[in-house]
Amino acid sequence: MKRDAFSQYHPAVNFVFFVGAIGFGVVIQHPAYAAAGCVSAALYYLLLRGRSAWKLILSMLPLAALLTLINPLFNTSGEHILFRVFGRPYTLEALYYGMAIAAIFVVMMLWFGCYNAVLTSDKFTGLFGNLIPALSLLLVMVLRMIPNFFRKMKQIIGARRSIGKGAEKSGSTKEKIGQGMTVLSALTDWALEGSVVTADSMRARGYGTARRTSFQIYRMTLRDWVLLALMVFLAAGVIVAGGVRAEFTPILSIAPLTWGFAAYCVFLSIPTALHIKEALQWRISISKI
Amino acid sequence: MKRSTVSSILTVLLLIPATLYLGTKLPGRWYYLTSTLIIIETMIPFFLAFEKRRPQARELVTIAVMAAIAAVSRAAFAFIPNFKPIVGIIMITGIAFGAEAGFLTGTVAAFASNFFFGQGPYTPWQMMAYGFGGFLAGLLFHKKRKLHQKPVLYLAVLTAFGFVGIVAVVGPLLDCCTIFTTGTQLTWAYALACFASGFPINVTHGIACGLTMLLLSKPLLDKLDRLKTKYGMMEAGTDGL
Amino acid sequence: MAHFHIQNLSFSYPNAKKESLSGVTLSVEKGEYVVLCGKSGSGKTTLLRHLKSVLTPHGKRSGQILFCGVPIDEVSKQDQASKIGFVMQNPDDQIVTDKVWHELAFGLESLGCDQKTMRLRVAEMASYFGIQGWFHRNVAELSGGQKQLLNLASIMAMQPEVLILDEPTSQLDPIAASDFLNTVRKINLELGTTILITEHRLEDIYHAADRVVVMDGGKIIANDTPRRVGEQLYAQNNEMFAALPTPVRVFYGAKAEGDCPLTVREGRNWLSKTFENRTLAAVEPDSEPAMEEVRNPALKVKEAWFRYEKDSPDVLRGVSFEVPAGSLFAVVGGNGAGKSTALKAVCGICKIYRGRVEIFGKDLKKYRSGELFQNCLAMLPQDPKSLFVKKTVREELAEMCREEDKIAQAAALCEIESLMDAHPYDLSGGEQQRAALAKVLLTQPRLLLLDEPTKGLDSFFKQKFAQILRKLRQQGMTIVMVSHDVEFCAEHADLVSMFFDGQILTTDTPHRFFGQNSFYTTAANRMSRCVFRNAVTAGDVVALYQKNREGST
Repeated sequence: MKRDAFSQYHPAVNFVFFVGAIGFGVVIQHPAYAAAGCVSAALYYLLLRGRSAWKLILSMLPLAALLTLINPLFNTSGEHILFRVFGRPYTLEALYYGMAIAAIFVVMMLWFGCYNAVLTSDKFTGLFGNLIPALSLLLVMVLRMIPNFFRKMKQIIGARRSIGKGAEKSGSTKEKIGQGMTVLSALTDWALEGSVVTADSMRARGYGTARRTSFQIYRMTLRDWVLLALMVFLAAGVIVAGGVRAEFTPILSIAPLTWGFAAYCVFLSIPTALHIKEALQWRISISKI
Repeated sequence: MKRSTVSSILTVLLLIPATLYLGTKLPGRWYYLTSTLIIIETMIPFFLAFEKRRPQARELVTIAVMAAIAAVSRAAFAFIPNFKPIVGIIMITGIAFGAEAGFLTGTVAAFASNFFFGQGPYTPWQMMAYGFGGFLAGLLFHKKRKLHQKPVLYLAVLTAFGFVGIVAVVGPLLDCCTIFTTGTQLTWAYALACFASGFPINVTHGIACGLTMLLLSKPLLDKLDRLKTKYGMMEAGTDGL
Repeated sequence: MAHFHIQNLSFSYPNAKKESLSGVTLSVEKGEYVVLCGKSGSGKTTLLRHLKSVLTPHGKRSGQILFCGVPIDEVSKQDQASKIGFVMQNPDDQIVTDKVWHELAFGLESLGCDQKTMRLRVAEMASYFGIQGWFHRNVAELSGGQKQLLNLASIMAMQPEVLILDEPTSQLDPIAASDFLNTVRKINLELGTTILITEHRLEDIYHAADRVVVMDGGKIIANDTPRRVGEQLYAQNNEMFAALPTPVRVFYGAKAEGDCPLTVREGRNWLSKTFENRTLAAVEPDSEPAMEEVRNPALKVKEAWFRYEKDSPDVLRGVSFEVPAGSLFAVVGGNGAGKSTALKAVCGICKIYRGRVEIFGKDLKKYRSGELFQNCLAMLPQDPKSLFVKKTVREELAEMCREEDKIAQAAALCEIESLMDAHPYDLSGGEQQRAALAKVLLTQPRLLLLDEPTKGLDSFFKQKFAQILRKLRQQGMTIVMVSHDVEFCAEHADLVSMFFDGQILTTDTPHRFFGQNSFYTTAANRMSRCVFRNAVTAGDVVALYQKNREGST
């Protein structure tokens, strides 16, 4: 992942942004809003992932086309009938509706792509560590074990291969499944044995003796509060201004744009703007040297 | 059931209708957001009960281990496309430690593995579906471990449960996510089409899960029992519900 | 007042016939550095676990343990958690969370510390232990040594008064191990923390200890200063004597008089003083036959190149070596040099992209799958547990082979007959190693590969393992091992190779190989090189010492 200015803000700020962006994105089916979502999400995703972002963005296109074309098959209301499929009308309105849905789907997937890059596991647990201490500890433990178990599984498979007990690519499916199950069973044995030590290590360090607190590596500073306030203000603007209604079937009726759309655009472009601002500042400060 | 559990279930019973009501008031397409919120609200009482109980170190570690094993289990079958044993392992955990532990293992396994493979709109649905698989297994089989005396029958029942559980419950729950994220109207036709297109995938998934139950339930249950006798693990937490 | 006072402590596990601890009386003063040693199963771990209530095993117990004058059961759990630190053997399993910073804070979080104190303590520990550089990392990215250091730091963050360490370095490579032990020593000297430690690797800590306590069969058989303990063990002809540092063994082995040397430096001074201004009758051990041109090698690797991923750096960079049939061939070298990868390349798990591997004269690629691992080649992995998939040792062996007599034969050779019905995970480290070896041997290999076979073994298990290897070679087996264990290779190998930077640099007989090195060599060689040449084992030095003493008197 590239260095990103918005990711440097407090996880709560990141989280509120994504709740807003994904929440609005999923609910509002106004085409202008959906288009704004598509553009800003794609832009930010590109800034975060660089060249590898195209893989997700391009893979969205056929999916979007599919969603668009399929919708009229199920939603048959609308005035302009393009043609008939098995006697059922295939309407222009439903096609438009399909397009909007496809755009919403793309927006959602792209924002989730950004979410995955920005809200890493430690930010998530940092956010909810105080609220749900036991669960977030459980999550952190699982996250610690997963790479460990992957490594051990590789070792077990390697060890078995070097005594001639490995699954071969050419073997039968039955053999492969049997080998896989043996590996899982061996891994479980090893993991459970280790878990006894882990539990001892937790108790030896006082787990269960007092009400747990949670070490906060992230701190809310002034700039976090400012950005958070701005975001809340803009989101409230979108809600208050209204004008997001869009009906596609049976009759196409789309509400005219209000200043709420402007608020929405500003809201969505916050991470991108911060990213670009930092990049420019850096350029300028380097060129001065 | 403890009083705290009852009260948290009551709260949720109020929360869900409220969400539904508010959802219909929203101007746009409310189904995805509302359904996802309801899914999350359904999970809350389980989570709260777990928090209230202040789980012991050993219970925490054992659930973590089983969730992590479930999350990595797919990699043991790298040579077989689409072989997903994850829910099978979650179900076995439910059988060993009860419905609540099964639910927790499922939700945590789904959530944690998505940190490696990417979170998405499907995350809450996956958590719910996997958790429910573990919950059902625990509910049906946890107290009935005596069936061990007829091992062949027991294994046959578990295998069938693994298959049916995926095809009838876990799979359709996952398909619901598709319905809500991609549909423009909530019609039975569209829902049926989604279920139908998901059916072959669910059958493959179900076969993998059934096979996991058939081949792994006995060894894994034996291992967990051995640990219980060797270290006295999970004894206090077994009947958490 | 004593920090710990243990009075007449006896303990037995449920269903055990024998007491694990019988009548142990021991006190540990504040600020002391006490080394506890004994064979595997002598009760060291059981004793240490009694010093912290949450870790104390279930069973029948009598006697008393006082912590700062208070019976340990009456000390609150919170006090015990913070004041008594306990570091265990396995670096991986002790870690709970996924981030370094979180692990450092784990104990403080459990004790319910407030943010301000936590911040300060965590920062302090990260600075003291030099962790700042990897503070934000994932735990999964750390090396074994870093993980164990993290475990130590996260315990020190609670500011314990006593630090108990149960074989903390047995899973580490020698360099990481001595770094770790130096840190422990530093904590003792700079902070005055009381240290109670058990270790296999006595060379690194024996001389620094204030007191050495030796256990055998659940009893304390010696409890004195390091020098006096050496003397007592020698006088009792105790088995533990073989585990003492080389200078001590040489001194008593040579029946010398005066003050016993504890370190290489003292040993060197003692030898130079003894043989000052004397012409020596013999300066070199009986010479070995020089390395011959290898004919019909069991294994021949030529210019092998390998890397794990397309864009990753090469791990093997033109490895070439030949292993004569019937020999024990050892490859030594630092951590991460690619030694284990070389073994994997030999058995085809890692596929080399250039070069050639010949096994018994036939190209590796020409072996059909299945053919290679039947009566031909097998590898014992670094962690023997990787091979265990069944509920009993007997079933493990039966997975490999149906024939009862072959199983019995392998079990007898590896001395695991009495363990056949045990669960593999209930065995001790050395027993697991032998059970895994028996499993590997059932493929009837003619070429056996061993990856770090002595890791985590104490000196007795090492001796036993060496005996088994000797028997295998008498049956004509060729053995290739990679190891950090310089002492073991010097004593038992026929040929030793140095692996560095993806290549094999030199190969020679152990005497010539280690004789030429001045850092990467055995303690015996380092202490004797001022007077003798190419003496690499304690036995060599003792023999030369006696030869020259006889010659001069």
